Amino acid sequence: MLSLLSIFFTCLALILIPCLFIFRRPSVPLFLKKAIIFIKTATSQYNDEEERYGTIEGKEKRGRMPKHVAIILDGNRRWANKRGLRVSEGHEAGARRLLEHVMDCFAIGINTISLFAFSTENWGRPDGEVNFLMAMFEKNFKSEMAYYDRYKVKISVIGRRTNMPESLLGLIQEVEEATKSYKEKHLIMAIDYSGRFDILQACKRLAEKTKNGLIQVEDLDERMIDKELMTSCSEYPNPDLLIRTSGEQRISNFFLWQSAYTELYFPNVLWPDFGEAEYLKALTWYQQRQRRFGLRV
Amino acid sequence: MKTRLVWLRNSGQTVAVGAANSLPPSSAVVRLDQMSGPVYTVPVPDMILDYMDFNDPMLALSSWIGQIGDFGLDLVWRFIHIVVTLWHIVSGIFESVESYAISLGLIQKYSSIDIEKLKCLAVVVDIEAARDVSKVIELLQWLTTIGVKQVGLFDSQGLLKKSKDMILEMVPRSVLLQETGEKHISPDRIALEFISSSDNKEAVVKAANILLEKYLKSIHPENGVGENVFTESHLNEALRVVGESVHVPDLLLVYGPVRSHLGFPAWRLRYTEIVHMGSLKYMRYGSLLKAIHKFTGVRQNYGV
Repeated sequence: MLSLLSIFFTCLALILIPCLFIFRRPSVPLFLKKAIIFIKTATSQYNDEEERYGTIEGKEKRGRMPKHVAIILDGNRRWANKRGLRVSEGHEAGARRLLEHVMDCFAIGINTISLFAFSTENWGRPDGEVNFLMAMFEKNFKSEMAYYDRYKVKISVIGRRTNMPESLLGLIQEVEEATKSYKEKHLIMAIDYSGRFDILQACKRLAEKTKNGLIQVEDLDERMIDKELMTSCSEYPNPDLLIRTSGEQRISNFFLWQSAYTELYFPNVLWPDFGEAEYLKALTWYQQRQRRFGLRV
Repeated sequence: MKTRLVWLRNSGQTVAVGAANSLPPSSAVVRLDQMSGPVYTVPVPDMILDYMDFNDPMLALSSWIGQIGDFGLDLVWRFIHIVVTLWHIVSGIFESVESYAISLGLIQKYSSIDIEKLKCLAVVVDIEAARDVSKVIELLQWLTTIGVKQVGLFDSQGLLKKSKDMILEMVPRSVLLQETGEKHISPDRIALEFISSSDNKEAVVKAANILLEKYLKSIHPENGVGENVFTESHLNEALRVVGESVHVPDLLLVYGPVRSHLGFPAWRLRYTEIVHMGSLKYMRYGSLLKAIHKFTGVRQNYGV
């Protein structure tokens, strides 16, 4: 009976799995949710093996699921243009996609998710679009605060904050304060973020510490800069996997310092279309890669 | 007294099945010595097991269904991996065929490339691949043929830096970038730059030291405020002082098993297109041409 059932599941998979790669929105979401839950179970088995053996092989197996995934949410405007919609509708579709994915990511064991929501360069966009985006961030923080609190998701917002509206700043402080004690799930929103500015502000903070006599100039090293970067709020500041949607193959000033050994994945799908199938592909692809962190194996 | 059929997990590889008469109803921990009667060991996959009351067939049935479901999902997950691997193999075969066609000049659109758009190309080489300098030299010869004027070669441990003299000798019309400077490269020459991890974070730390000292010297004794030296242009200048190039490569080709820039100078990667080319050992001229051609068609908005 066992073999009959396993044959049945294999045939079902043969029919349904190709749908993951052909259709943007698979018509069997229940199956995919089960698959995602199952990934969690499968990887928990790998973690059990690692604890039991504690060898180098065990440590390599620990790298099966990324601890920190960073996502550049690209393609909202092109998605709207393709459908004859307004740019604002594209951004709204992107925001809905974001909320759908975040909890699925945490459910399968990812500890930290970073989202490049708004870059410093984006201030150059039309005023209407920028104002809409700021209002949308505010609306989402307000509507989702209870949700993050209920599911114990720590929220951190990294970025410059000098040009943000006061109302949004106040809301960010409120959300960060309300969720600061949570540890296992961490959502980092990069708003008005620039990788170069991150490095410069780290240097500036170290300069202030030097001025105040807390450190000496000669003590300055890479680790000190690591600790002053905006991502130091996270237990896993360096992303294991960076996904940029829409097919563009660059990191556009996001996590320049932190991404030295990050796996880069550039799927050719726009962010509002980045569904569970694409997400499964990204994780499967990550698990098949061999990472050596610059050392010889 | 009820007889309970008990399943035990033993190092994930075998299970012991037997009867136990003296267990409390909700015991979750069972030892072999608590079991009576014959004990059978059965090899099973590492699944979550539980003990079941043999006298309740519905409970037994639901537990069986759960275990079979888990096993089935395990198969499905492994099958997803197989499908994705097969997909990559098939697409790899198509890419190989296309690459050979491009190399032979059979595909018209790759026969002319607007190379002027590619001012600076960087190549990241995995340290295993960097040991085979002949492949690196072959790649540079291809780039010279295509017409690329400036190439930065990076490997994390600086192996290519050590082979710098040999590479400059073997690649025709090549010069060291540091000797000529970016603006004085002759049209018939290719300028090479050799980069390693020490040019990444270490260099930024040295540049930050320079800015730190400049800041401390500029502090006014009255108000304790120093000059704002922490700007991009100041850091660019400080990097030049420590001997680093700040030129941003337009295109970065990654040769290695991992799609990662492996510690290429972070400060220079802001808007660089990053293309993973696979193994250097199996590099193809057609794939190189295709990557450069694709880059010339890219349009960047730079966030605006």
